[in-house]
Amino acid sequence: MNVVVCVKQIPDPAAPPALDPGTHNLVRSGKLILDDSDAYGVEMALQLVDAAGGGEVTLVSMAPNGETSGLRTALAMGAAKAILVSDETLAGSDALGTAKVLAAAIRRAEPDLVIAATESTDGYTGTTPVQVAELLGLPSVTFAKKVEVDGQTVKVERQTEAGYDEVTSPLPAVVTVTAGVVEPRYPSFKGIMAAKSKPVDTLTAADLGLDGSQVGVGGARQEIVSVVEAEARSAGEVVVDEGDAHERVIQFLEQLKIL
Amino acid sequence: MDFTVREEMAVLLETVRRFIATELAPLEQDVEETGELAPATARAIFEKSSALGLYAMNVPERFGGGGLSAVETVMVEEQFGHTTDILVRRAFGNVYEVLFAADAVQAERWLLPCVRGERTASIAITEPNAGSDAAGITTRAERTGSGWRINGAKHFISDAAFSDFFVVSAVTDPAKKSRGISLFLVDKAAPGVTLGRDQPMMGLRGTSHHELFFDDVEVGPEHLLGVEGTGYAQVLATLGRVRLAQVGARSVGKASHVLDLMVRYAADRRQFGQAIGEFQMVQQLIADSVVDVNAARLMVLRAAWELDAGRDARDWIAMVKVHAAEALGRVVDRAVQVFGGMGYCKDLSIERYYRDARVARIYDGASEIHRMVVARHALESGAALFDSMASGGWVLEPTVALDGGPR
Ligand SMILES: Cc1cc2nc3c(=O)[nH]c(=O)nc-3n(C[C@H](O)[C@H](O)[C@H](O)COP(=O)(O)OP(=O)(O)OC[C@H]3O[C@@H](n4cnc5c(N)ncnc54)[C@H](O)[C@@H]3O)c2cc1C
Ligand SMILES: Cc1cc2nc3c(=O)[nH]c(=O)nc-3n(C[C@H](O)[C@H](O)[C@H](O)COP(=O)(O)OP(=O)(O)OC[C@H]3O[C@@H](n4cnc5c(N)ncnc54)[C@H](O)[C@@H]3O)c2cc1C
Repeated sequence: MNVVVCVKQIPDPAAPPALDPGTHNLVRSGKLILDDSDAYGVEMALQLVDAAGGGEVTLVSMAPNGETSGLRTALAMGAAKAILVSDETLAGSDALGTAKVLAAAIRRAEPDLVIAATESTDGYTGTTPVQVAELLGLPSVTFAKKVEVDGQTVKVERQTEAGYDEVTSPLPAVVTVTAGVVEPRYPSFKGIMAAKSKPVDTLTAADLGLDGSQVGVGGARQEIVSVVEAEARSAGEVVVDEGDAHERVIQFLEQLKIL
Repeated sequence: MDFTVREEMAVLLETVRRFIATELAPLEQDVEETGELAPATARAIFEKSSALGLYAMNVPERFGGGGLSAVETVMVEEQFGHTTDILVRRAFGNVYEVLFAADAVQAERWLLPCVRGERTASIAITEPNAGSDAAGITTRAERTGSGWRINGAKHFISDAAFSDFFVVSAVTDPAKKSRGISLFLVDKAAPGVTLGRDQPMMGLRGTSHHELFFDDVEVGPEHLLGVEGTGYAQVLATLGRVRLAQVGARSVGKASHVLDLMVRYAADRRQFGQAIGEFQMVQQLIADSVVDVNAARLMVLRAAWELDAGRDARDWIAMVKVHAAEALGRVVDRAVQVFGGMGYCKDLSIERYYRDARVARIYDGASEIHRMVVARHALESGAALFDSMASGGWVLEPTVALDGGPR
């Protein structure tokens, strides 16, 4: 079974983020790393391919400046190869633009299953994978907390507020996984050294038949018009227990219509 | 001159850092409180790390190790500095380069099992009356019919309680002084070897430091490591790498770890209505620490680069030993100051780092001894040691691997 994992390469979340004052986009000029959210997808894919007894994991990523650091981490974990789409015309892409690029790249790999994270750590719109599914004409299952492949179907436990739904879908499909779905492995020393010779196919938008009117700033239908500071959290109410605290807590929750 | 790091090296460093943060750092406090790393835990972290190939990365591939160059080794060792001595020993190993002198038969018995993590060795050189003066030892190895009989005492032997053999320096020819010292591979289980007291230390909780006694310990000729009479030279030639990695690079890692805590605290902690990091006197503590850490790292890399170029690098390693150990000392001292009472209080790790750091200026040759080495080299070779245009100042084309052998 061949699985494609969408992996986003993002600025290190540990470093203070910066926004471009003109476009309000996240500054991505420095080194990018594998988004932790996608490490779960990579692990899930590796386990599924293992369980299927054959096949391979292909990574698909769109990132500026030919960035491969994050891909290298995922290749060191065990993915076989990667497709990187990187090109000036992609700058300023919105989620739909990104989805067009990812979908075109994924089509090349002809996967049995596509895995992405539920949402990225930096942009976290959580909209890209479903748009990819729509563009590819594939069923999409989101919020997977457990994934199993059985012949030509994928069985997913889909996280809900109340518990989980059991969803079955024919393959190929696009599945988004939640953090914690599996424990991402550490790349091994051998895996790390082997990753340097694994193929990374670097493509431009044009290679995928896309141009500046469909993707990048030109294709974006979404514009960030302003960015404002989040409102500081106001102080909460302190309940001192004088024997009736439980009643006051219940009252408070009723006020909020939580109870 | 190029400071770019190859992508696979970056992934390796990230992996080691993540392994330390996730698997090892959470164990530190318990080791500190109990004074011991529980054997089952030690086993578990060894198994996890060795399955990943993160054990004995400094050892050449032909001995089954990771085959990292000296520069790569110090970059990894810097990461090791982010956790404690005992956790590094168990998770990543401590295979001393002096063992590479083993012949094929010795390698099977002593070196290769160390690389696989099945055996562990300590270096036993220091004696109660011979520390800085390592050539002044009195442990004696006398020829018997077929082999050697060893008598004497060592102390401060790191990890001796866990190790199952020792690399022991002993006098084989008293008339020849430092040229009459040889190294022996002595199994802890050999009759006549006794483990003395665990000598309690200021820091480094969890690592044992023992007295060792040798009473008529009979060993065969196959226990002599390298050529008779070259023990002192072997030690000088190979322990430099240990110093550079375990004191130099790890000091940089420890200092940067503590500095990170210091900077965060200075930004968070408020007094007089503002973050203490806004006070210029606190800023000076931070700025000097940043300068110290970065200067020490550059020096470590330069020394490692010399080794990769096939040079002896003893002079550079002596400089590193002084500078990195003392830079760490300054940084942890400033950290205690920035944290104030919390820096002195055992509720936080700062006071532990302060205690653990102190020994860096003492073991593997005290600062005074390494200053002596630097001064001697300067007086002997003059400007080559500090003038970039003097002969030997710049190294051209580093091409040789870690141990001079093929990678
Ligand atoms: C030159 C260039 C500049 C860019 N500049 C910006 C910018 O300034 N700000 C910004 O937010 N984005 C930028 N992007 C990236 C792109 O616009 C975003 O990926 C897109 O907006 C999706 O946003 P999201 O993070 O909300 O995705 P989500 O929908 O939250 O992502 C969910 C999952 O979809 C997958 N996915 C999403 N994006 C990618 C990707 N790029 N590659 C592979 N998998 C992916 C991952 O699995 C991810 O976890 C840039 C890209 C390029 C090539
Ligand atoms: C925690 C710890 C772990 C250790 N682990 C090991 C180990 O595993 N194996 C091992 O063999 N040893 C080990 N040692 C021993 C260590 O290497 C010695 O402590 C060190 O070399 C200093 O020797 P000393 O303690 O005898 O001090 P001394 O040599 O007595 O020195 C005392 C002081 O005199 C100064 N001094 C000495 N000679 C001179 C001189 N010529 N000029 C100027 N000043 C001088 C020294 O710098 C120092 O300040 C360990 C020590 C410690 C504390």
